[in-house]
Amino acid sequence: MNQNIHQAGVKLLNAMSRHADLIMHAYLSGSVDEAKFSAKVIDSLIKQGVLWRPEADAELRLKNAVRQLLESSLHDERNRQIDANIGSSLASLKTLAQHYKEALQHGRFAESHAHLSDLTEHVYALTESLANNVRVLFSRINNEFGYVSSIDAKIRENQLAQSQVSELLDQLEMFQFDQLSDIAASNRELRHLLIVTLQHSFSRVTQELSIVQARLLALLGRFREFRGRTRLLKGFLLHMEHSPDFVPVNYCGLSQVPMLFNQSPSVIGSAAADTQRIEHEKELQQLVGAIRALNRPHKHYQPERAAHQIHVEQQSAVAFEEDRLKKAVEAYFCHVIDSGDRVTALQYYQDNNLEFDPEAWLYQVIGGYQGLSLEEQEYFAIEQTGEIDPVYTGNFIIRDVELGLR
Amino acid sequence: MITEQGRILERLLSGVFICQISDEDGWRYLKASGNSDKIESQLNVLNRTLASAADGDVFYAAYQSLGDDERKVLTQQFQEISSHLVPLVEWLLLVQQANGSDVPVTQGSAIRLSELQGTIEDTPAFSEQLAKISHYKLFGSTSVSVDGQLKQVFKRLTDLGYLLRPNQDKQIFIATGKIEYLFEVIKFIDETESLSLAEQAENAVQQGSLI
Repeated sequence: MNQNIHQAGVKLLNAMSRHADLIMHAYLSGSVDEAKFSAKVIDSLIKQGVLWRPEADAELRLKNAVRQLLESSLHDERNRQIDANIGSSLASLKTLAQHYKEALQHGRFAESHAHLSDLTEHVYALTESLANNVRVLFSRINNEFGYVSSIDAKIRENQLAQSQVSELLDQLEMFQFDQLSDIAASNRELRHLLIVTLQHSFSRVTQELSIVQARLLALLGRFREFRGRTRLLKGFLLHMEHSPDFVPVNYCGLSQVPMLFNQSPSVIGSAAADTQRIEHEKELQQLVGAIRALNRPHKHYQPERAAHQIHVEQQSAVAFEEDRLKKAVEAYFCHVIDSGDRVTALQYYQDNNLEFDPEAWLYQVIGGYQGLSLEEQEYFAIEQTGEIDPVYTGNFIIRDVELGLR
Repeated sequence: MITEQGRILERLLSGVFICQISDEDGWRYLKASGNSDKIESQLNVLNRTLASAADGDVFYAAYQSLGDDERKVLTQQFQEISSHLVPLVEWLLLVQQANGSDVPVTQGSAIRLSELQGTIEDTPAFSEQLAKISHYKLFGSTSVSVDGQLKQVFKRLTDLGYLLRPNQDKQIFIATGKIEYLFEVIKFIDETESLSLAEQAENAVQQGSLI
C-alpha cells in the first residue's frame, strides 16, 4: 500500500514538473487556454487531480490544493485567504490524542506510534498555518495593499484584513490549555506536542496579531487622511469652478491674525567682508583671486587714440630722438677719455646744456656702460652716488653716476 | 563656527520653512523641548516669534506683534498665496492622477520627473492639463513642449520651496513640509468660509460628475 502511494506520488510530481509551464500559466492567468496545450496532456492532468472543470462549459482551472501550495511557497501576496478554522483542528487533535492514549493503554505500540506521528503532523500543520496566516497579513500590510490602486479599494482591503484578524483572534480563544493539559496528563510526548509546541506558537501568533491590528489601524488612518486630502483638493477646484470669483476674506485684516498667515519675510541680509580680520585673510585672498570680472572703466572718446594714418616720417623722428641720446652718451664717454678727468654724468649734462630728461640720461649712461664689451668696460671706472631708500629696505636710489678712467 | 542655534535662527530670519525634508537637523533641534524656547527669546528681540503649522511639521518665523506695516506685508503675502492656490491645487491633482497610485503628494513624496513626463506625454488629457497649469502666472511658462512646461513648473516650485531637488544631477524631486502648509491653508479656508469642500467633492462623485 505504502509503496503504491509512494509511486503514485512520484508519478504525480513528475507530471507536474513536466507540465510546470502549463501549471504556472494556469496559476497566473486563472484558467488554462485549452487551444495552447495538447488535449492528451490536459486529460492526464485532469485525471491526476491537478486541473478540474468547475462547470461543464467553464474553463479548466487549477485545483485549490495546487494553487495553495504555489501561493504559500511563492509567498504570493495575492493570497488573501486566511484559514481560520482552528476549532476543527483542535477537535481532531484531541481525538487523535485520545486514540494514542488508548493504544498505549492496551499495549498496541505499533498503532500508538502511527497515531503519534499523525498527531505530530496535525500539530505542526496547525502551527504552520497560524504562522502562515500572520505572514500573509504582514506581507499585505508591508506593501500597503499595493495590489489595488485606488485609495477606496485600499480602505476596503484594510477592512477585510481587520475582520480577518478579529476572526483569527476569536478562533485563538478556543485554545484551552487546561483541557489540553488534562488530555496530555503525564505523557511526555503528548505534553510536548499539545502544551509546549502549541503554547509557543499561540503566544507568538497572538503577539504578532496585536501588532498587525495596530498597523492596520494606523494604515486605515493614513488612507482616510489621503482620501480626505484628495477630496479637499477636488472640492476646492469644484468650488472654484462654480464660483470663479471666490476670494477668501483677507484674514490679515482681522484683529487676531491666524498664525498660519502670519509669516515674516526675510529680514537678514548677507554680511560684508571684514578686511581687518587676519583669520579671514586667506579666504578673502582666494575670493579676490577668483574674481574674473574684467575691469574696463568706460572712457570718453579720446581723439588722440582714434585710428589714424601713421606717417613714416614721424617714426624716423622717434628713432632720431633715441639716437641723439645714444650719441650724447658716446660723446660723454669720449669726453672722459679725452680729458682723462672724472666727470659725473649730471655735471656733464649741465655743462653741455643737454635737453633730455635727467633720469633718462642717467639710465642711458648706465646702459651705455653696461653695453660696452668687458674689455672696454675695464678702461672705465663707474661709481654710483645715492642713498638707501629710508622706507623700503633693499632699494638703492641713484642720484648721480661718476665716470672716470682706470 | 556657527552654532546649530545660530544657523537655525539665521534660516528662520531669512523667511525659510524648516521641515524634516529641507533641514532635518534643524527640524529635530526645534522639536526637542527647551531648544525652541531659546530660539523664541532671540526671535522676540526682532519682533518675531517661532510659529509652526501642520502639527509641527513645519516651523517658520512669524511677527510677534502686528502694526500697520506688518499688516501690509502680511496682506500682500496673503494675496500672493491665495492667488497661488488654484495653480498649486491643479498641479497636485495632476501629479496624483498621473502617478496612478491615487496617493496625494505629501511631505516626503518623491516625484520622478522622467516617469511623470512619460505618463503625461502618453495621456492627452494630462498634457492639456499641464499646458493649462504651466501657463498660469505663477509658473509663467511659454513653452509648447511637455518637457519645457514640466521643467519650468518644477523649477518654480523648487524656487518657492514646495519641492527639493536633493541631487542636482537627477530629475528627482521631494515634496517639503511646505506642501503640508498648503493643505493646512486650504483646510483653514474651507473651515472659516464653511465651504465644506470634501462634501462637495463627494456629492459630485456620487452624481457621477467627472472631476
